[in-house]
Amino acid sequence: MHIDARTLPNGSVLEADLCIVGAGAAGISMALEWIGSRHKVLLLEGGGLDYEAAMQDLYRGESVGLPYYPLQAARLHYFGGTTGHWAGFCSTLDPIDFEKRAWVPHSGWPIRREELDPFYARAQPLLELGPYEYGAGDWQRRDPTLIPLPLDPRVMWTKMWQFSPPTRFGARYRPAVIGAPNVHLYTHANVCELEPNESLRSIEGLRVRTLDGKEHRALARHYVLACCSIQNARLLLASNRRTPTGLGNAYDLVGRFFMEHIEMPGGHLALAPSRAMNTKMYAMEFGQTKARGELALSAAVQRERRILNGTVSLEPGAPDEVAKSTFEWATPELLAAFREWEAHGRTGPPPAGLPAPPPPGSPLFFHLVTRQEQAPNPDSRVLLSTERDALGMPRAKLDWRLTALERRSFRVRYEVMGRELGRSGAGRVQLLDWVTRDEDTWPSTLSGGWHHMGTTRMHENPRLGVVDANCRVHGLGNLYVAGASVYPTGGAANPTLTLVAVSLRLSDHLKRTLG
Amino acid sequence: MNRRRFLGVSAASALAGLTGSARGASANAAVDLLTLAQPDLLPLIGPQAVRKIGLRYRALVPSENDVHALYAAILAARPWPPSIAGLVEQDFAVGRTMVLQGWVVSVTEARQSALFSLLSD
Repeated sequence: MHIDARTLPNGSVLEADLCIVGAGAAGISMALEWIGSRHKVLLLEGGGLDYEAAMQDLYRGESVGLPYYPLQAARLHYFGGTTGHWAGFCSTLDPIDFEKRAWVPHSGWPIRREELDPFYARAQPLLELGPYEYGAGDWQRRDPTLIPLPLDPRVMWTKMWQFSPPTRFGARYRPAVIGAPNVHLYTHANVCELEPNESLRSIEGLRVRTLDGKEHRALARHYVLACCSIQNARLLLASNRRTPTGLGNAYDLVGRFFMEHIEMPGGHLALAPSRAMNTKMYAMEFGQTKARGELALSAAVQRERRILNGTVSLEPGAPDEVAKSTFEWATPELLAAFREWEAHGRTGPPPAGLPAPPPPGSPLFFHLVTRQEQAPNPDSRVLLSTERDALGMPRAKLDWRLTALERRSFRVRYEVMGRELGRSGAGRVQLLDWVTRDEDTWPSTLSGGWHHMGTTRMHENPRLGVVDANCRVHGLGNLYVAGASVYPTGGAANPTLTLVAVSLRLSDHLKRTLG
Repeated sequence: MNRRRFLGVSAASALAGLTGSARGASANAAVDLLTLAQPDLLPLIGPQAVRKIGLRYRALVPSENDVHALYAAILAARPWPPSIAGLVEQDFAVGRTMVLQGWVVSVTEARQSALFSLLSD
């Protein structure tokens, strides 16, 4: 069922067994798991069922670190969350991403990749993906015209991505959520504060506010924050009535370790003419392609060269073109136009500025576009601003920072790729000028991918992580976090598939807990 | 004069000036200079980019900034592979590469590019 919280009498009390805060990919994936159970579930969404500028403004914030995208444009604040404009890129994290790597400070998950596999498999249909197969060979068997480059697997491999249609969770799952008798969706219900009990050992309730000035309370046995990485941290930090540093923050970890994927061009590939017929494996046309490969360095090379994980996609181009980074081409205005175009059923021409479909024929020249993980860094963080939003809540302040390891990894990746692609006869790689320089600075084209991760990181030790391996906030018996904010490291894969998998895993845990 | 004819003339001039020691340094003196000055990079990235790579190599390795030294350096490879392409592949396999003008090239290719630039100057 669905209720607009603005229609409730002021001071209403909403009660349930489980309360999920945030109806994006994580929150909706969890809510769907509870449909038909004997438990009552509250699903609280701050926005409405569709985009509203006033709701989106609640996500506005400051950026005081490296240049970043406008925060209010990086995430969407309505039912379905940021799946309202995501591009549908899905892949798994690699086994090495879960390992503690001596050269990557603060790396290591408390769970292994194998433990996530069954949840990845369950996440696939939710995202309307194909089978849970991410081997290049799997896809070549399905389509023999998908031929990976002849790489030495000890050095490089073709990492597969699958593409969601992309699933707009708001539209796709609205009927199921609203039609579920035991799932109570409240929209325009902004959680502004978590209220702990006297001993600060559990959460007693949530303060829920609407933009028209009403305040309600939500009470449940268990609570899950599924608001996205910046908002999860913001909410914990702002819940500081009883403890000045906020909740779950006894060791000053909430908001720290904010991570992005560094998503920008790093070089070019001039393909050997003999290989030109074989690039279908690496091509992607939005809305058409089901799977494609990107180039990745092996775990062995990452260990040997002590670098971060990452992948490189091949985008057809011309030698005299300068490829744009994600933040450069996908301006907030373009994203807004794209969302409007989709809201009107994709009628009419698509907004100018979207990436063009691949040219016909077999291209010989490619821009190489990197998606690289960021090392967990306690100084890269989300804080509270002194400015408040229309609900009286402190706005978020992002201090995004990178280290020398990211910069060195970027260069080494291209050098190793250049050698291997040269050795295999596939072609020759050119590093962009800024990549070749031995500097720690980044060019003005520095870009993320709107992939916010890590602000409530997972670690078994409360001194080193905000949540435990079951996503429960250390020290609080009934508060959990879902979403990419629990990632200790982000790997190279876009975060959505993994965050849905982690949310399903949390859901199973809560089912066992609630009985 | 087209580029290939120009290179041919230049190569003939250069070969005429090769020292005995340079020729003697090679187990394969039959490999002609014109062939060496035509790296497989050419059809991939074009003559302008190859020339720039060559100029950069010559600036970085002044001791090889002449035809004789480059010729000798390329042919000094041991064991000699069946072809220049094999030599390039060998370079990549063992990491004998350089980043010149951003391009990751084998050292042999870099020398070939330097020859190309000398002969097309």
